[in-house]
Amino acid sequence: MNIGKYRTHVVLAMTVLWVAITLCGWFGKWYVGLFLSVLLMLLHMMLGAAQKGILSKKLLMYPFLTWGVVWSVGFYMAKMNSDAFMNIPPSYTILGFHPSFAWIVLCYWIGGVLTLTLGLVKYKDLWLSDTDWDAFITTVKHLNEGGK
Amino acid sequence: MTGNVKWLILAFSVGMIVISFLIGWGAKKKASDAQSFFGGTALFGPLTVSLSTVAAVASAFAVVGVPGLIYSFGNTMNLWMLSSCAFAMAYFTIGKRIRAMAEVAPIASLGDIADLRYGYHRGIKALLSMVLFIGAIAYLASQISACSALFGHLLGWDPYVAGFIIFGILTVYTALSGEVGGVLTQAFQGLVMVVAGIIMIIAFFGITGGFGNVVEIVSNAGDVSAVVEGQEIIKKMTPNSMNAWGALPGSVAMAWMLIPIIGTMGQPQVLTRMYALKNPKDMPNLGLFAGLGHFIVGFFALTMGYAALYLVGKGLISPLAVADNAIFAVADYVGVYAQLFVYAAILAASMSTASMFLTLSANIVSRDLPSAFGVKLEGKKQMNTSRIVTAIIGVLSIIFALSSGEAVAILGTFGWGTLMSATFPTFIIGLNWKGASSEGVFAGLLTAFVGNIASLLMNNSGFKWPGGLPWYVNVITLSIVVMVTVSLFTKSHKDANLDPRVDAVIEL
Repeated sequence: MNIGKYRTHVVLAMTVLWVAITLCGWFGKWYVGLFLSVLLMLLHMMLGAAQKGILSKKLLMYPFLTWGVVWSVGFYMAKMNSDAFMNIPPSYTILGFHPSFAWIVLCYWIGGVLTLTLGLVKYKDLWLSDTDWDAFITTVKHLNEGGK
Repeated sequence: MTGNVKWLILAFSVGMIVISFLIGWGAKKKASDAQSFFGGTALFGPLTVSLSTVAAVASAFAVVGVPGLIYSFGNTMNLWMLSSCAFAMAYFTIGKRIRAMAEVAPIASLGDIADLRYGYHRGIKALLSMVLFIGAIAYLASQISACSALFGHLLGWDPYVAGFIIFGILTVYTALSGEVGGVLTQAFQGLVMVVAGIIMIIAFFGITGGFGNVVEIVSNAGDVSAVVEGQEIIKKMTPNSMNAWGALPGSVAMAWMLIPIIGTMGQPQVLTRMYALKNPKDMPNLGLFAGLGHFIVGFFALTMGYAALYLVGKGLISPLAVADNAIFAVADYVGVYAQLFVYAAILAASMSTASMFLTLSANIVSRDLPSAFGVKLEGKKQMNTSRIVTAIIGVLSIIFALSSGEAVAILGTFGWGTLMSATFPTFIIGLNWKGASSEGVFAGLLTAFVGNIASLLMNNSGFKWPGGLPWYVNVITLSIVVMVTVSLFTKSHKDANLDPRVDAVIEL
């Protein structure tokens, strides 16, 4: 996926998202803001992980999109269960947690680590390959020696 | 707490301080040039850097303040503490580019990276330095103030004595060994926090029997009251505090999810550690180790808040007059070993964060700011100047932190969000987007500087931000909007005018 061609568009989208999230906070639309935040973080990572402007499709599917889905599901389930048990004790727990908070533990916390943290280890070459690093070092050395 | 326990805590704490000093002393040989002294650049493996990063990120607030907030408002704060994947997100987004800048030219500070990216723009370096300095001093003063008061109270010492012993020794080893000693001592202190965290997590399950019991007690306890020292204390327990968002407004829950996760990549204690890593190919392992370390520290804070709620809800201890005493109430209930490890964790958290921000502020004053105004010192002279500046800032910070309680509290407004407002336009966007111009970044930094100061004044005059949204979210957004907008209409150090070496970094 050639994201390099659209860098400026992506940065503009990120800027709009920062504004939208802030406005969501102002006007009490915080739940929408949570999902916009996921999109904002996704764009940051996609831009950062691209090599020579190209983002690997594998990396996009896992960990990035997988992470986005896991977090979105987590927020949805957390809200659904917090609404269901608003002002009353929950009738059941998940792993001992309030059924709303359990989705935060499972998706936001553990799910975040299982996707992003392990994904970076698993696909480290798609994030930064030996070949690209070596080529970068050669280029910089050449430029520092006065090359063009 | 008995006298014997106090002596044990004192012995434990002295042991930690002595070991930290010896590590710092031993590290001074490695601080042989400006790059290693100021930046610890390309010197360390992923385990050391990860422990150092986690320790510097988790301040005393994480160990003391977070359980207090969980006790007061439930799970809202846990959204902040369960942000363990933030390190991987940071390395995906900016890790390889920050590390790559250390191959382009000698890098010893974030100011050096800004120099390279924006063509040695003095205004950018000066503003970046000033905003980072405000955040650094705020962190430093609050660690000194809280830790000195705590240990002074515990041991019956004057806080000045406790402060000068703990942070005086820290200042000495930091001045001697610079960032090399900083990274190594923080790694040791991070290890202490992780071990203490594991022990206290086990203690949590021992006293509560698990999370189910906590949820049941908190959801059904209602109002719990007791008379403590002639004053009635009431703790209102609500089942809502146990749901995902806790008892604070939803906009705060949103901000406390977004800001720690995305903000981790904008913290100097994370950014500077990226170029301290010897082999950039080890960064994924760094993400894994840092994530696991944070996983334990975050869980530690969560369990301590939950344990305090359980003990109060069940009537095993009285409601707390001061929420920040939550972790101490739990430790006192559990017994001697818990008290030892809790105080060790607080000391480790305070010292690691303090040393990180002491070196950062000293480097800004002795190196980056003078350079922004055209004053450059070379090699050994620069290092010796920095050592003197470190000692002066260390001593002044201790005096300031302990003599100006109100000013420290006001300054405490700055911190995580302040640092983000400077680093986001400059690095997080600037190193991923060739279209970021030096005019744009300068305008963004100016907005951040003015916005932070204005917010401080507005907060102190009682201004309420719309929706209860934390003020720093507004400042960060505004600085990004200004930076991007101005960049679109200006052209210095962007696209075709970019240094080809920086172009290579952005393409990496």
